[in-house]
Amino acid sequence: MTTQVEGLGPSKALGKRLDKARFNPVSVLLLSPSIVLLATLFAFPIAYAIYLGFTNLQLIGPHSIHYQFTGLQNVWTLLADKEFIRSLWLTLIFVVASGAVGATLLGMMMAIAMQECLPVVRLVVNGLAIVAWTLPPSTIAIIWYAAATHNGIVPMILGHPDYDLLYDKALLVVSIANSWSLAGLATIMFAAALRNIPRDIDEAAMLENASPRQRLMYLTIPLLKPTIETSALLMMLLTFGNFTLIYLMTAGGPGNDTNILPVYSYLQGFSFHKLGYAALLGNVIVILSGLLGGTFVLLTKRR
Amino acid sequence: MLDTNFTPRTFPPVPTTAPLQPKRWTASKIYANIVLVVLGLFFVTPMVWLVAASLDKQASWQLKAPELTLSNFAEAMQFDYMRALGNSLLLSLIASAVATVAAFFAAYSFSRHHIPWKGPILLTILFLSGVPITILIVPIYKMFSYMDWLSIMPTALLLGVTSLPFEIYMIKNSIDAIPLDLEESAMIEKAGTVAVLWRIILPLTMPGIASAAILGFVNAWGSFLVPVVLISDFSEQPSPVRMYGFMNSVQIHYGAIAAYSILYSLPVVALYLLMSKSFRNGFVLGGAVK
Repeated sequence: MTTQVEGLGPSKALGKRLDKARFNPVSVLLLSPSIVLLATLFAFPIAYAIYLGFTNLQLIGPHSIHYQFTGLQNVWTLLADKEFIRSLWLTLIFVVASGAVGATLLGMMMAIAMQECLPVVRLVVNGLAIVAWTLPPSTIAIIWYAAATHNGIVPMILGHPDYDLLYDKALLVVSIANSWSLAGLATIMFAAALRNIPRDIDEAAMLENASPRQRLMYLTIPLLKPTIETSALLMMLLTFGNFTLIYLMTAGGPGNDTNILPVYSYLQGFSFHKLGYAALLGNVIVILSGLLGGTFVLLTKRR
Repeated sequence: MLDTNFTPRTFPPVPTTAPLQPKRWTASKIYANIVLVVLGLFFVTPMVWLVAASLDKQASWQLKAPELTLSNFAEAMQFDYMRALGNSLLLSLIASAVATVAAFFAAYSFSRHHIPWKGPILLTILFLSGVPITILIVPIYKMFSYMDWLSIMPTALLLGVTSLPFEIYMIKNSIDAIPLDLEESAMIEKAGTVAVLWRIILPLTMPGIASAAILGFVNAWGSFLVPVVLISDFSEQPSPVRMYGFMNSVQIHYGAIAAYSILYSLPVVALYLLMSKSFRNGFVLGGAVK
């Protein structure tokens, strides 16, 4: 459309050049609803939160109306806050272990095993993983709470019905629940990637007498590398945003053992009434998700 | 697979992939089946409790053979809980409608028009769709409480905005897939933007729009944090907040929790199934472009 014929140049007779894409005024009209909505309820709040993070705003009490800019005071509090450092560390463990590794690995195993199994097994297991993925977060929280608390299914399988796994290994339980809920999406991604791998590569390897294990380790998995990267990052982003699951299952406890950043920010704001400090914690979340999202976009662009 | 009907009889049979894949149980096949069955047990085990407890007269967190009853469902269908489901429905419908309509127009413009800095804008939109909603809660709470907006309608609007970025992206992708020729021939017939959008783009992108709308609906349906903070009136609270109250009450009615969770989750699961079907039947551009 916008290719220019060499040597012809713009025609003087026509007022406008037709070989250049021009701005269509209709776009303003079409874009305005989205722009207004995103500006007022997304961009402005984020900017406002950056400001609030440097104030002493409180949920109740005198500072709920008459709050003021306190400079870097919140930042110093943050850096000296042992619970924040711990929360950052727990977030990292949760996001990497449960999202990047757990969900991605489950999805990859499922998709690879699905290639070589009985159709009925594939249909049932795939269906179960998809249902697990579609369930709303509060339902997932309830069923995993039931499964891991004392007398639940998991302690029973382990042979100690009275053992409260959720209390004793809270981070492990919420991590498994999170992987469980995301594996279906990862499976869809890996299954699609596997369909796009040409069969002849595998067949060539078979003719060379490569064992199934060798084909898996030296062919399939290396060919899946781009999907592994994309899936790991996407799962990390989704895990990072998974506030509801942890809040409903443990509310950050016991003893702050599952106090990941989004939960910590919420508790600081709405349980301890420190809205300003909560906003600053929110800013840290923005920076972290910005890093994650940026990496994701770079990775997608590169392909 | 090759269609052997087209192979002339006189030629030797075309070698297919079949001989390389004998239909017998190899070690790797057995292994794959075992892995998958184990994973299937992992996925199904927590769900079994939900179904069993919902039908059990004496339900607890324990998994056991249920003493069959439907009283849990009767309890879960009390007025209060049904009203919460109704609130969820209202919240999700409005959120999805707002997001889908706005996203449709924006997506068309992004797909077809020349917009300055289009690349960076689209990247920003993609980035916004990955931002955890937690960070909006404090500033939005401050804004809404200042404007006395702590009720269901503004909350629905906000939930719509949170799904707007990915809906724009999804619908733009499905508009991108439509060949320009259709619009060009319509424009030669002097069709305006409205006619093009209504008569050509909308019908052809229906599967994509439906998927985006469903995801917007599901996003609002599952949201717990936004309504719990932004809706002050308890009678306007949607189901997830109600379920939270259920779990933290003094006397836990396990059976009713399970029954209510099922009632609350079924619509979402059904919508996803519907969506996967519309994906499969997908784009029916048949014959429109010669």
